[in-house]
Amino acid sequence: MLEDIQPTPADDGYLVKLQIFEGPLDLLLFLIKKKKIDIHDIPIAVITREYLDYLGRKERINLDREAEFLLMAALLIYIKSQILLPREQPIEPDVDPRKELVDRLVDYQKIKAVCSVLREKEDEMSQIWKRTALTAPLPEEDLDLIEVSLFDLAESFFTLMKRKQNENQRVIKGKEVSMAEKMDEIVAVLKERSFLDFLEYLDAQETIEEALIAFFCLLELIKARLVVAIQEQLFHTIKVWLRKDAPTPAKVDD
Amino acid sequence: MENLKEILEALIFISVEPLTVEKMKEVLTEVPETDIAQTIQALVTTYETSGGAIRIIQTAGGYVFSTKPEHDPYVRRLLQIERKKKLSGQALETLSAVAYHQPVTQAEISAIRSVDSTYSLHTLLENKLIKIVGRKEAPGRPLLYRTTEKFLAYFGLNAVEDLPSEEELKKLMQEENA
Repeated sequence: MLEDIQPTPADDGYLVKLQIFEGPLDLLLFLIKKKKIDIHDIPIAVITREYLDYLGRKERINLDREAEFLLMAALLIYIKSQILLPREQPIEPDVDPRKELVDRLVDYQKIKAVCSVLREKEDEMSQIWKRTALTAPLPEEDLDLIEVSLFDLAESFFTLMKRKQNENQRVIKGKEVSMAEKMDEIVAVLKERSFLDFLEYLDAQETIEEALIAFFCLLELIKARLVVAIQEQLFHTIKVWLRKDAPTPAKVDD
Repeated sequence: MENLKEILEALIFISVEPLTVEKMKEVLTEVPETDIAQTIQALVTTYETSGGAIRIIQTAGGYVFSTKPEHDPYVRRLLQIERKKKLSGQALETLSAVAYHQPVTQAEISAIRSVDSTYSLHTLLENKLIKIVGRKEAPGRPLLYRTTEKFLAYFGLNAVEDLPSEEELKKLMQEENA
């Protein structure tokens, strides 16, 4: 656990590297321990003062988390104000305004205990080498395949649509394509060629409507886990593959 | 089966992942499960008492060959690994919270820690120590996370139940407070 090291004034000339507090609860627990306070009966005024003191000096505090530290300060002050407010009847013990905070602290304390157990195990395990350790780092290539998110797909689609817009198309209403038809078509193409280039395929559609339908079909197929969209590397084209473990298609309705 | 012990030894030796008893049963359909369990135990003991550098440990529910801690410095020299990477404090805290509250959402983890845990969860996902198991039936249908087999293997646990129970934790906390 953290040792209680008296904070040295900033102009003291030397700096000790200390473990920083990862979050507000971390700091609170430390202060409670330092002041030897019973966690179930926290003197809010004392702890708030200490807490704000630390915050003001920005000492041993993960500054990326400053907002969260401030939020806790606000909560502490709020709790204090709740206690101070004059009331007709005294506060009942089960509506103690501190209760929620105490529950959270107790929970967090448990997590901290788990952390130290796991850290010990990690240390133990880091000293033994399993045969599996030698084989594990190999399938790196697999990891480079990025399964593309919906946003990536939508973004490429909209880029394509923008490009198409400038082509000054004249729309001739002709054949109408249904989702089901298109989906069968896509699955057929995939079965024949094993993969298709996402943008190329949409670009090859005759009309914008058809491209739009094709796009929705692809999304639908991805959702049904019949196909998978993969980008081999960042900035490469997105390819759509038929899943090997895909159930038989044609059961996807629109 | 006479040479069952050798067969099991061979199977564990070539396995890429910890070899579970279920897997052994799949391979050795003709052998009763109790025989497998007993023979495995005998095999583990043989290695334990042989005085050699190799032993068989049980981790993530399966068996795997491993070296002993005292040889760690030499293994690292051979593999040219300065030091094994450890989890950061943030990541470990997030992982502990997931392990104890799974299946759990990002918002719940963040609330437990009073710290936004999106990034930590992301790192843990990347390291395959946790996985997404679905969505919670709640507003926004947030993703639910669970720990993985790799999590168990990483900490040398056989099951999530191997983690200290509530009572054990309380004892631990009292010791620390004392």
